[in-house]
Amino acid sequence: MPDVQAATANLIPRLRICHGRGGSLPHRSTPPFLLCGSAVLLAVLLSILFAFPAGAQAPPNEEVKPVPLLTGSTGFITTFDGGEPHLHPIVTPLVLVPIGGRWIFETRATFETDMVQLPGRSAFHGTVAKEFEYVQLDFIANPYITVTVGRFLTPFGIFNERLYPVWIRNLQSDPLILPIGIGPSNASTGVMLRGGFRADPKFNINYAVYFSVLSTASPVNSDRFAGGRLGIFVPAARLEIGGSFQHGLQDERSNAFGFHALWQPPILPLDIRSEYARSIVGRGYWVEAAYRLSQVPFLQNELRRAQVVARMQQFFAGENASDALLPMNTKQFEFGLNYYFIDGLKASSSYGRQFSTDGNKNVWTMSLTYRFVVPLGHARSE
Amino acid sequence: MKWRYILLCMVGVTAGLTFSAIAQERANSTASSSAEAPAPTQGMPAAPPSAMAKSAADGAENGAQRLEGEKRFRTNCGRCHQTPHKFPPRVMATAIRHMRVRAMITDEDMRLILRYMTQ
Ligand code: HEC
Repeated sequence: MPDVQAATANLIPRLRICHGRGGSLPHRSTPPFLLCGSAVLLAVLLSILFAFPAGAQAPPNEEVKPVPLLTGSTGFITTFDGGEPHLHPIVTPLVLVPIGGRWIFETRATFETDMVQLPGRSAFHGTVAKEFEYVQLDFIANPYITVTVGRFLTPFGIFNERLYPVWIRNLQSDPLILPIGIGPSNASTGVMLRGGFRADPKFNINYAVYFSVLSTASPVNSDRFAGGRLGIFVPAARLEIGGSFQHGLQDERSNAFGFHALWQPPILPLDIRSEYARSIVGRGYWVEAAYRLSQVPFLQNELRRAQVVARMQQFFAGENASDALLPMNTKQFEFGLNYYFIDGLKASSSYGRQFSTDGNKNVWTMSLTYRFVVPLGHARSE
Repeated sequence: MKWRYILLCMVGVTAGLTFSAIAQERANSTASSSAEAPAPTQGMPAAPPSAMAKSAADGAENGAQRLEGEKRFRTNCGRCHQTPHKFPPRVMATAIRHMRVRAMITDEDMRLILRYMTQ
């Protein structure tokens, strides 16, 4: 039964709630060299932090006082997975509270259900899953460093942190390798330092380093690990390449790593994204291209809102099994068509074919998603 | 069971918000098309020549910053999602602070984009 579930899990938009895995396994105490290494790292980071005192840089633009926001997204996703229909309503509210000139509190929760027809009944049934995806406090210390504490989306690869919300993703299904490196429930509990700065007139560097503690309180569980991600962005070419690394500090103390590349050729309305990830639970890659039809010479008003998408991916199961990943080698192709009505409102549809040793199948999806932004106070004046 | 009702209510509220957003969008687009060409500023006779030169220089600098802000907006704000529309200034200030943290936009990019998006 779990195998069947896992096999169907990846083409349908995966329920974001991951139930605790391995959380209760014992972990060994940290070896002295790691403690020493962490102390040195901390010392270096702290010295950078204080090397740019607050006064060196005026607080970020204070001409306009930011207002707390209720934002987030909502969607209704219908999937036909190997012929079986699934209805998937999802609401993801996000609250942003800016505090003073340098702080921001952010939290996002998800309420969703995957409704299917029970045998012999025509109505759809499902239970609502709810989760606090992240609850974090960010402090913009200086132009180079932002400190985050709390529960935050693990910055491993690009999908989890940047492309996950239903209003952003080009195809509603998750990449097969998404669960690699992001921890149970997609988040970490601990502290993170991150930032982006101009390293050279030609390129920017962005980085994130984090440490997460073990938490077994489902659904806000997390693993004990440390990791980082580094990206180089070339604005003139709109190209970013980067890599992620993570070292587990419990169980097998295994490592995971990944690479990502994003390119938006400046002369074309084209988005090319791809990711590779590898860990003991498996390895794989995805490559996605999305083309907005805004340069087509006819039906311009309609076609400029349409986007065609194609994605190809492959997953190779690793030596250690994980509930979140497929148990067998799998190849998958998807094609999609998106239509953007207005800022934030999108309709999308896709067709996918999955090939694996377990059999091949088709998956169709249709969805309507909307991103809302509501100020919790006066939006225009102070 | 209770959650299912809450979920349904939220979907309903969102549908309402969607329609209001569409309505607002329509209103905005008609307003902006009618306000597209601002009246050219006539010379201010009362201003002394030095002040005029200064304000012209300020204007040029503002224009350059605006252009640079627009360029940075185009380069940065459509990388992960579709480029967003302008929101009211205080909303934009929060969203851009959020994006600075999430998207690791540089300090300089953030200032220029915020200025461009709130003008
Ligand atoms: C690196 C990817 C990335 C880039 C670049 C990016 N965004 Fe975002 N943006 C996101 C993500 C992810 C969310 C959704 C946040 C969430 O759900 O946790 C978002 C949400 C938003 C929202 C909705 C309100 C909010 O704050 O959540 C607005 C408005 C927005 N972005 C504007 C911008 C602007 C303006 C820029 C350019 C300065 C920008 N974005 C650049 C990833 C990005």
